[in-house]
Amino acid sequence: MKNPFEAFHHAGILKREIPLDTILKSKEATLAKILAGYEDLLKNEAKDLVWLMQYSTVIKAYSIAEKGMEGIEYTAEDIEEFCYALDHSDQIPYLITGPAGVYISALCNHAEEEEITLHLRDLNVKVNLLGYRLPPHKTLIVEGNVGDFTGIGLDGGELIIEGSGKNYTGAGMKRGKIVVRHNLGFNTGHGMTGGELIVGGRIKGLGKIVGGKVFERDQLIFPNEGIKPFYF
Amino acid sequence: MQNGHYQARIRAIYNYISDNLYLNRPDIAIKGEAFNSTLLLGLLTGLNRGKELIIGEPGLGKTTSAEYVGSILYRYPLGLIWGSEVSGHPEQTEEKIIGRPHLGELNKGKEKVVWSNFAQIPVKIVDEINRLPETKQSMILNGVDRGNWEYLNEILINDEYSLFATANYQDRGTNTIIAPLIDRFDVLIESRHPGANIAYIIGKEAIVNHPLRHPQYEQELHQILRGDKPYAEKMALAEGVCDLFGEYMKEQLGLEGLTKEERKKINEEMLELDFDIDANAFVRMMLAELSFCHKYGQKRSVEVCEDGCHYTGYLCHHIKNCASNRLPLSIRNYTQALAWFLEDDGVDLEHVRLIIPYVLAHRIQWKDSYLSKKEGEGRNDPFQIYLVKEATEEIFQRYNEQREYLLEAFSLGYRSCAGEEVIPLEGDHPIYEEIKKDIGAKDEKPL
Amino acid sequence: MEIEDIIQKVWARVRRKHLYPQLPLPTVIEGGEDVALEIKSKQLSISSAFFNKLKEKMDGEDIVEAVLDHGITHYMYCPWDFYTHITLYNEAKKVVRQKDQAQRATTYFMDVVTDTYCVKEKDTKLAALYKNLPQSGVHEVLTALYEKIWGEDLGSGKHEELVNCLSRIPYLERRKWGKSIKKFTKVIQDMLEEELGNEQQSAQSEPNPMGEHSLENYSLEEIDRGLREFASAVEDLQEFKETVEDLKEELEEKGYGTGGMGRGKGNAIDANLLYYMKLAESYTLPIKKIPIEKRGYLHPHAHRPWEIGKPFADIDVWTSFGKVMPGITQMWTKREGETHGEFEGTPDSLIIIDSSGSMINPRERLSYAVLGAACACNAYLKHEARAAVYNFSDALRGNKIVLDFNHDKEHVYQAICRYFGGGTALDLDDITYLLSCADNPDIFIITDMQITNLEKLIDFFTGIENRVTAVHLGHNVHAARFKDATEKKKNISLFNVKNKEDIPKIVLGKVKEYLTSPS
Repeated sequence: MKNPFEAFHHAGILKREIPLDTILKSKEATLAKILAGYEDLLKNEAKDLVWLMQYSTVIKAYSIAEKGMEGIEYTAEDIEEFCYALDHSDQIPYLITGPAGVYISALCNHAEEEEITLHLRDLNVKVNLLGYRLPPHKTLIVEGNVGDFTGIGLDGGELIIEGSGKNYTGAGMKRGKIVVRHNLGFNTGHGMTGGELIVGGRIKGLGKIVGGKVFERDQLIFPNEGIKPFYF
Repeated sequence: MQNGHYQARIRAIYNYISDNLYLNRPDIAIKGEAFNSTLLLGLLTGLNRGKELIIGEPGLGKTTSAEYVGSILYRYPLGLIWGSEVSGHPEQTEEKIIGRPHLGELNKGKEKVVWSNFAQIPVKIVDEINRLPETKQSMILNGVDRGNWEYLNEILINDEYSLFATANYQDRGTNTIIAPLIDRFDVLIESRHPGANIAYIIGKEAIVNHPLRHPQYEQELHQILRGDKPYAEKMALAEGVCDLFGEYMKEQLGLEGLTKEERKKINEEMLELDFDIDANAFVRMMLAELSFCHKYGQKRSVEVCEDGCHYTGYLCHHIKNCASNRLPLSIRNYTQALAWFLEDDGVDLEHVRLIIPYVLAHRIQWKDSYLSKKEGEGRNDPFQIYLVKEATEEIFQRYNEQREYLLEAFSLGYRSCAGEEVIPLEGDHPIYEEIKKDIGAKDEKPL
Repeated sequence: MEIEDIIQKVWARVRRKHLYPQLPLPTVIEGGEDVALEIKSKQLSISSAFFNKLKEKMDGEDIVEAVLDHGITHYMYCPWDFYTHITLYNEAKKVVRQKDQAQRATTYFMDVVTDTYCVKEKDTKLAALYKNLPQSGVHEVLTALYEKIWGEDLGSGKHEELVNCLSRIPYLERRKWGKSIKKFTKVIQDMLEEELGNEQQSAQSEPNPMGEHSLENYSLEEIDRGLREFASAVEDLQEFKETVEDLKEELEEKGYGTGGMGRGKGNAIDANLLYYMKLAESYTLPIKKIPIEKRGYLHPHAHRPWEIGKPFADIDVWTSFGKVMPGITQMWTKREGETHGEFEGTPDSLIIIDSSGSMINPRERLSYAVLGAACACNAYLKHEARAAVYNFSDALRGNKIVLDFNHDKEHVYQAICRYFGGGTALDLDDITYLLSCADNPDIFIITDMQITNLEKLIDFFTGIENRVTAVHLGHNVHAARFKDATEKKKNISLFNVKNKEDIPKIVLGKVKEYLTSPS
């Protein structure tokens, strides 16, 4: 039978590759590796798609996340791409905000840049656990709103939220600074032992704070006469 | 093209007709030149032995444009063309269209056919074809398709012919043209109103003695066609009279018609023109959209495509029927004819994009939902042609975006058919599925 | 060689390169030294001043070809059509929130896409052109970006941080242009603010060397089509409204009004109305064809061959040449006469729409009730019937619009889109009056049935013979009551809509049924 594609015998086009193609390919490859690390984390920590927010599970998830990103070279923009990929179900089969937040926190903590900005204003989902264990000399700026447990266990870095947060922000933070431009929810600063938590808007409720300082609309509300440190 | 000799003559014919006989505005442009579509496509039909359906409001030159083209290209005097036309009305009979028994011989008990002029001469004009009842349309179907005419067990085969059929828009006196017949037309063209200014000139300068008439030669040709000689002999004799008429045209009007040999030579030159790679790929892309159905294997007019199909954005979702194999033939013939006329080295994408609306407009059945969306849009062309022009541009945009990828897919297809193990390229467009089918790879897309 | 001659020489080659765009031969204009190209209604014009200035640094043919490559690619690739253009603008506006900045960002983004496409896919001298163009402000950043993503030395090398961000955007993936322009705009936002701020101060605008993009590039038909597609694509009425408000001046200047094209300049545009008009165009019915009727008498229609055994009565002696023998003899087939039926015409329609507080305000969010009403109006107006509107909230207190039967689409839409947001009560006198103004019109009523004088309405409907289609939203006792009361009336159809998105389809389904059956 005659080859119906005879006319295209020499049509193997000399494709011109420009550096943009290489940059995008490298970006896709890095994202694929990051996604693979995340899926690995879910496989180990969120069987049956259930993940309980507990002290031990967070620690375990963090160490698995660190392992998953070993050897991946990425930038702050790659972390942001990953955040957006979380929003699209065709790239990630399922999103569980707890492990996702831990994973993103691990990515931020181990990134080369000292200052990382994540533009998350257009994200539909509000990621929990951002800024977990943010180390000293690291600044994480998040443009947009965030979920629960933001900045928990902060370990010396600076976390700036250009938006609002939800509950348990700054829980267990040891040192460093959290700045939230708008509002926070309940149990703010629960178990925090040091550092500063500065809120530009309203705080719905404080948790049981051990140490550190909390500001609401430029006013120091902890420690003050009305609220004393809590001892666990 | 090195030798533009014939092209120059055809251009001269075009210019003469457009300046003197069929006054109208140019409405299409190609390679920086503007042409009137009715006249240009009429000439191309005459040159490449095509079949053209001309629509339009009454009195806008549908029949006359065909008569002039046929008369000059084939060198038949106008009076003979008039006398050979078939007019569409319900009382047409086979005897008036094709041939009748020789009455004298019939009374002697012998069967002998007197063929009609329409069946014999190469310029075939059917006026208002949609007034013919559907039974009569079927009757001329075979003749129109292959140039074979049968009556009383005798057969007449035309060596060459062009068919021009005219049709008014639907009104109370018209039927539909049956689907098998309409598919046999190569092109659909509208003969438009020339505008107030040109229309005034037409009225003011009405021709009294038509320059393409020659009563003497008409008479001679009538005699020849009416005669008893075998068809081949008649046509040879007729060609002699046509030579004389051709000389008359050259002396009096400065026009050179074409002899039979010249027409044959032109056809050969046209066939030598090849499609460039883009024209080739684009046509395949279009054919894929017109025939593909992910759910049912191919488009069928009895199977309805539902919403939510992966290919909803493509032409296959908006049409009801499947493209026939006559479509690529028509595309090929007319694009080659156009490229030849313009003295181009081959058929390129510009030729294809110009021709496709005219070869496709009458063959496509659009879904009502698509029609109703587009009905209200402003346009310059009749609705059928406008829809295909829009569709062609949409497909062109898709082609433009994925050209390299598509050509690579074709190239892989070639290699696969040549025996190499290749992985076919995946793509959104139906053409990629068609390539996979051709090379025997599986279609994995979900329904 | 003169520039005109160069254009003549280069044009055929450039057209072939770009797969034969349907553009006329480019012209030459005096123009400014700083702007290479002007595009107006598909006419490309090259500035002779620009050409002469650059000729000192580059070959003339290369300049012309590069500029044409850029202009043609805008036509053939990005934005291609008006819909793409306003979609990009809309996305950019979500980032910068200011018209001028969004327009500027859109222009720059389209230029980057166009030039990158040319460099990658076509053999072009654009890189050399950019190397010789002045670099300042955003142009400097873009030149640096080109250096990075094209791999060409353009003498820039600055703005590393911005360029790193910009270089990660997939400019050549059309499906991602929406997200890409947002990222792009975000990155250059500060520079845009600075640039526009400087222009305001100096009262001089910095021209784009490769030409500006505006509505001048598009015909009215293209704009109309683009707006229709845009109305269907946006998630929110407010997005459409905002974009149209931004472009209002240019649209009106071009002669585009709410009623459509060709109304002449200065016709005001109501963005809300335009939205529903364009959206309703996506839900249309084909125009009803003139019916063919049989007349009841037979007449000779065509011939068919006579066969032995067939009756003689219908033989046509003349066509049979006086012979009665198979193969020669023809007989008449007779057919019932057909003519076009008396075109009954389409009845007029009365649209009754509830705009009480429980219904959505159509000027704030997409109201499918209003859209359904709009679809019904469109269908009747298209069939040259008239439409009347009774828009009610607390009608007894004057919160109502009573629009008489008329053919004016804009007036009808204005009446439909009006929102009162008060109580819910009909004034039946109004409906009676409207019904008296037409001959048995069809009635469409779209409501949530929470009407205080529902009983009176039910009594009214049970007493009339007009075809009534009632579409109600949600289940409630009132709807159940209406249903029970009108169940036996064949001229009343009641539809309960679970998904409000179904309203237009339900309405159109009923309209189609009405239009194809006698009233």
